[in-house]
Amino acid sequence: MSDLDDFKATYFDECSELLLELEEQFAAIEEGDRSSDRLNAVFRAIHSIKGGGGAFGFQGLVGFAHAYETLLDHVRDGRVELSEPVAALCIRANDIVADFVAAAKDGTELEAGYGAEEKHQFDALTSGDPDMAGEPMEEFDIDFVPVMVTIAGAEDDDVVAEEPLSLAVLDDAFEAPPLALEAGHWIIRFTPHSELYARANDPLLLLRELGTLGDIKVRAVLDEIPALADFEPFGVYCSWEITLSSDTVTEAAIAEVFEFVEGNCDLEITRREAPVAEAALDAQIEAMPSFAELMADVTEPVAAIAEVEAAPTAELLSFADLAESLKPALKAAPPLMPPPLKQAAPAEEFEGENDRRSGAEDRRNGVQSIRVDLDKIDRVVNMVGELVITQSMLTQQMDETLRARYQELVRGLEVLAQTTRGLQDSVMAIRAQPVKTVFSRMPRLVRELATKTGKKIRLETIGENTEIDKTIIEQLSDPLTHMIRNSADHGIESPEKRLAAGKNESGAIRLSAEQAGGNILIAVEDDGGGINRERVLQVARDRGVVGPEQALSDEQIDQLIFAPGFSTASEVSDISGRGVGMDVVLSNIKKIGGSVHVKSWTGKGTRMTLRLPLTLAVLDVMLVKVAGSPYVIPLSSIVETIQCARANFSRMPTGGQVLQVRGEYVQVVDLASRFEMTTEVERDNRFVVLCEAEGGVKVAVIVDDIIGQQQVVIKSLEENFQSIEGIAGGTILGDGNVALIVDVQGLKSATAAHKSAA
Amino acid sequence: MRVLTVDDSRTILAMLHHTLSNAGFEVLQAEDGQKGLDVLKNESVDVVITDINMPVMDGIEFIKNVRASGMHNSLPILILTTETSQDKRDQGRAAGGTGWIVKPFDPEKLISVIHRVVH
Repeated sequence: MSDLDDFKATYFDECSELLLELEEQFAAIEEGDRSSDRLNAVFRAIHSIKGGGGAFGFQGLVGFAHAYETLLDHVRDGRVELSEPVAALCIRANDIVADFVAAAKDGTELEAGYGAEEKHQFDALTSGDPDMAGEPMEEFDIDFVPVMVTIAGAEDDDVVAEEPLSLAVLDDAFEAPPLALEAGHWIIRFTPHSELYARANDPLLLLRELGTLGDIKVRAVLDEIPALADFEPFGVYCSWEITLSSDTVTEAAIAEVFEFVEGNCDLEITRREAPVAEAALDAQIEAMPSFAELMADVTEPVAAIAEVEAAPTAELLSFADLAESLKPALKAAPPLMPPPLKQAAPAEEFEGENDRRSGAEDRRNGVQSIRVDLDKIDRVVNMVGELVITQSMLTQQMDETLRARYQELVRGLEVLAQTTRGLQDSVMAIRAQPVKTVFSRMPRLVRELATKTGKKIRLETIGENTEIDKTIIEQLSDPLTHMIRNSADHGIESPEKRLAAGKNESGAIRLSAEQAGGNILIAVEDDGGGINRERVLQVARDRGVVGPEQALSDEQIDQLIFAPGFSTASEVSDISGRGVGMDVVLSNIKKIGGSVHVKSWTGKGTRMTLRLPLTLAVLDVMLVKVAGSPYVIPLSSIVETIQCARANFSRMPTGGQVLQVRGEYVQVVDLASRFEMTTEVERDNRFVVLCEAEGGVKVAVIVDDIIGQQQVVIKSLEENFQSIEGIAGGTILGDGNVALIVDVQGLKSATAAHKSAA
Repeated sequence: MRVLTVDDSRTILAMLHHTLSNAGFEVLQAEDGQKGLDVLKNESVDVVITDINMPVMDGIEFIKNVRASGMHNSLPILILTTETSQDKRDQGRAAGGTGWIVKPFDPEKLISVIHRVVH
């Protein structure tokens, strides 16, 4: 059923927001903020997850959430103290709720008894309370919800309580053949109190509903109606006596009709089997019109209520009907106003106002935000990407002759270029989200890590409102988690060590985000011991990552922690050592077009910086040509371009080549030979594209020709072909040709590997 | 017939909207009690369905405010509740609630409850 699927999608969307909210609230609660606002927000989040879960029959989830909610309710009103262990239990419970939600979403089953221990703890914590103790969970799992009422003064409480009082049951009852030959008679005495009217309950509706249970005869009891002089405008003087004849109706069914007004009226329900009494009653009732007749007979309004009936609201008409049912009595009694008449004046006023305003309805309901499926936005983003490319292609096609001849066209193209840029920025802004969504999960992680390692660690976050493309954000959680684990596990020292080194006993991890040009920089920084370079180099040599003779700069050694399979932890620790090293971080980040750089200060700390593109979809590039094929190099990594004829190359004793730029020696990579192609362009006519790889390391890329700058839409090579070292992806150019995107970082490291292997 | 639904859960709002509009109701929505009051200032509705646990202004306060305004004495207000304990429901009624609907609700049941309090 697609409707249901839609609701489920909404529900899971909402759940992920609520779970995030829980993280945020608990982060603040852990900091010591125990205000009732926070606790209420937590309670509501769990309550909403439970409520929606119930609608879809996620029983495990609902069961757990219910027990958790009960605990939160106790915490909220102070019956259970939010001590450290209770807070820890709640944080664990949030995880379990998240697991239940995830399982429900994926349609998988969690192991039996998952969360049972925590649930048991909730029950233990809340069991001191008589209200909630032992409240059966099953009560919540009922698909169709009949548990609505127990009737005060019912003769047989047990039967009433257990009888499902649903209309479905009543319908069945109607279809069933009569059980007894003689009809059952019920006498119902119904005396509303003024609260009944104050809560907008309407006796007529109750009588009408009674009428669906069987034949009814209604008598208005008007004994209490005072003389006109003593009449209170808001007084309630009328009550009713109803005789209900039905073979099958139960007292519970009758009481259910009055469940909403329980306590706001006097209600007596008695069964009359005795034919004698019945005959007497019938005689008494004979004189009265039946309810059905009363309902039908509305053609002759009494003078006293004619005005009321003329009022246009449905509400008032209904009371006119009600008054109509009193007609026989009214004829005899002095003119009276039915109690609900008090509503006439304000209702009229309200109606009038509504007439004036009804047209403005949509504007007034003012929508400030809308929810859009991410797929739809992705389509727009892709199309805008293609538009940008077409636009840049058109601009490229304008050569000097065309420019001179079609000046209007040139102007038009300029406007198009501007508008396209603006459109692109706006569309990207739609997908942008603050990194807060990822950052907010980290305080919790740090707390857990601190507990596990026995270290004291505090987390600072900076720039959490920095916005970045949603698709990138989604990919950030794992790498960040891993980096923080690494900092907590390997970076921050034990409190004793820190004190000995003259540092503050508790270590700090700083998580920051900032925008720098076309990139977002996210840094994880700790004030720990820094990378143990000797050890890193030792391990790298042992594993053959670095040759025995090869000398490496400190910076190069630091970078080694991202080498595949590299881990310096002497023993596999519970935290970082889960069989994956920092190389996973690197490959994850590379996948989204970013890079990782590490910098370490011995004894002072380590900083790992992620450089991420603002968006995944479109890349500013330099289009170049190598051996007749087009390649593109990301503009963000290009420092400058130099003609080969003017470049200052030097040959190394090893046979390699370096480029000397402003006193700096830069490694040279010839794209043609690197990708095993031959070029016919003479060396002096070729170009050097000086690129900067991660960590400020430069590499001089030699190409045949430089065509110009443009924007491209990135297409994944892994998805369409296979991953190639030194190539970050592909793109389709305006003329339909495919160009490969050069991965400067990959080019550099691949070359280094070549070298060390040689 | 117009219904104002007040709930902070989008899931519940969406389900109410679906069920009610299928049954021919015109549905207005608000995410908390305060927004519900704002809607009632400008719109006339035949019945209100409100959640209890909501941020900003909860359902109990919302009902109290609706009744206190004096403009909506005869407006039926149904309380949406998942509470198995009767606490909240009773508080809602004391504040002026007309009746209640227990979540999770069956579509037919929902409609039939509405017809119990509206003409």
